[in-house]
Amino acid sequence: MFSSSQFEPNSAFSGGGFMSSQPSQAYESSSSTAKNREFQGLVPVTVKQITECFQSGAEKSGLVINGISLTNVSLVGLVCDKDDSKVTEVRFILDDGTGRIDCKRWVNEAFDAGEMESVQDGTYVRLNGHLKTFQGKTQLLVFSVRPIIDFNEVTFHYIECIHFYSQNSESQGQQVGDATQSQIANSSVNTTFQGGSNTNQATPLNPVVSSQNNDGNGRKNLDDMILDYLKQPACTARQQGIHIDEIAQQLKIPKNKLEGVIQSLEGDGLIYSTIDEYHFKHVEL
Amino acid sequence: MDTSSPSAFVNGALLRRYIGQKVRTVVQVIGSDNGSVVGKSTDDLQIVVRGSSPPSPLTTYLEVIGIAESENAIRAETLTNFGNTFDPQNYNELCKLANGEFKHLFI
Repeated sequence: MFSSSQFEPNSAFSGGGFMSSQPSQAYESSSSTAKNREFQGLVPVTVKQITECFQSGAEKSGLVINGISLTNVSLVGLVCDKDDSKVTEVRFILDDGTGRIDCKRWVNEAFDAGEMESVQDGTYVRLNGHLKTFQGKTQLLVFSVRPIIDFNEVTFHYIECIHFYSQNSESQGQQVGDATQSQIANSSVNTTFQGGSNTNQATPLNPVVSSQNNDGNGRKNLDDMILDYLKQPACTARQQGIHIDEIAQQLKIPKNKLEGVIQSLEGDGLIYSTIDEYHFKHVEL
Repeated sequence: MDTSSPSAFVNGALLRRYIGQKVRTVVQVIGSDNGSVVGKSTDDLQIVVRGSSPPSPLTTYLEVIGIAESENAIRAETLTNFGNTFDPQNYNELCKLANGEFKHLFI
C-alpha cells in the first residue's frame, strides 16, 4: 500500500545508515571530531535514552548519546492523547514503554493529513523525527508516521536500539558483545607492553596472552604469542636474544610445540637466531 | 516528557521479579473466559490476564501491558492484538536482554 511502500526506504536507510563501516570508523577516533557532529543518520532509540542524554547534556547544542549527537531518531510506540484540533499541526504523545515524549507533526499537505488520519490513540506506530529542545522540554518534530502492521517490528526496534547502542559502546573501548573482541584484545595486549617496559619482567604479558590462547584458535595464536613476547622492549633489549626454553617457560607452552613454530617464523624472516640456534630475537625494521 | 510509568519487558519467568509493578509481555492466546484471557508466555509458561475487555476478534498473539499481580497473573490496562505471525522466540530473547545487560536503556 501507499504508506508501507513509502516508508520502506526509511527502514532500509536506517539499517544502511549506521551498518556501513563509515560511522563506526568515525566513532573510533575521539568523540569531538567533525564527523560525529555531522552524523545525520537515523538513530533508533527508546524514550528513556532520549531523556537520559537530555539530563546529562545540559548546555550542549545537541543531545548526545554515546558520543553521537542526536538529531534524527526513530521510535516505535503507542500513540496517546492525539490532538488534531489545529488545522496545521497534530500533536500527540508517544508511549514506548520506557517513557513518554511529546510529538508534533506539521500538516501542510493532503498527504500529511491522510497519514495522520490512520493514526489513532492506541495505535502502534513507527515514527521518524527530529529532536528539538524548546524551553527546557524535549520534543519530537515528526516527519514520518506509519502504523505498524507486522508486530515483529516492535521486537525488532528494541533489538535495533540495543544493537546500535552496543556497537557504539564497543568502538569507545568497552567490551560489549564479541564481534570486535579480537580487535580489542590486540589493543589491550599493546598497552600491556608499554606497562611491561617499566618492569624488566615478562610476567605482565602472561594473563593477557593466555586469554587469547583460550579462544581456541590454536596455531595462529601461537605464532602471535611468540612474536608478541619477543617484541617486548625487555626482550629486544637483550642482545643475546631469548633462549627457546625461556620462551616455553614464560608462555607456558611445551618446547616441542614451539620448535616447529619458531622454525616457520624464522623462515618467514620474522625472527632470527643470535648467539646460537636456541636464542632468538624479533626482527626489527 | 515523562518516564514515570515505564513498563518492564517480561516473559513468564521474569514476571515474578516485577510483582506490583507495570510490565508488558506478549502471550499466545490459549483461551478466553469472561473477563480473563489465558495465554502461554514466550517461554512456555502459563499466564492469566485479568480485567480490561480484550479486543475482539482476538489474534493468536496478544500484547498485555498492566500490573503484575502474581508470578503468573497480570491485571491488564492495555491489550493489543499482535497478529498471527509474531515470533515469540525473538521477543523472549529481547526480554532477557532488556532485563540484563541493557536494562538501563529501558527502565
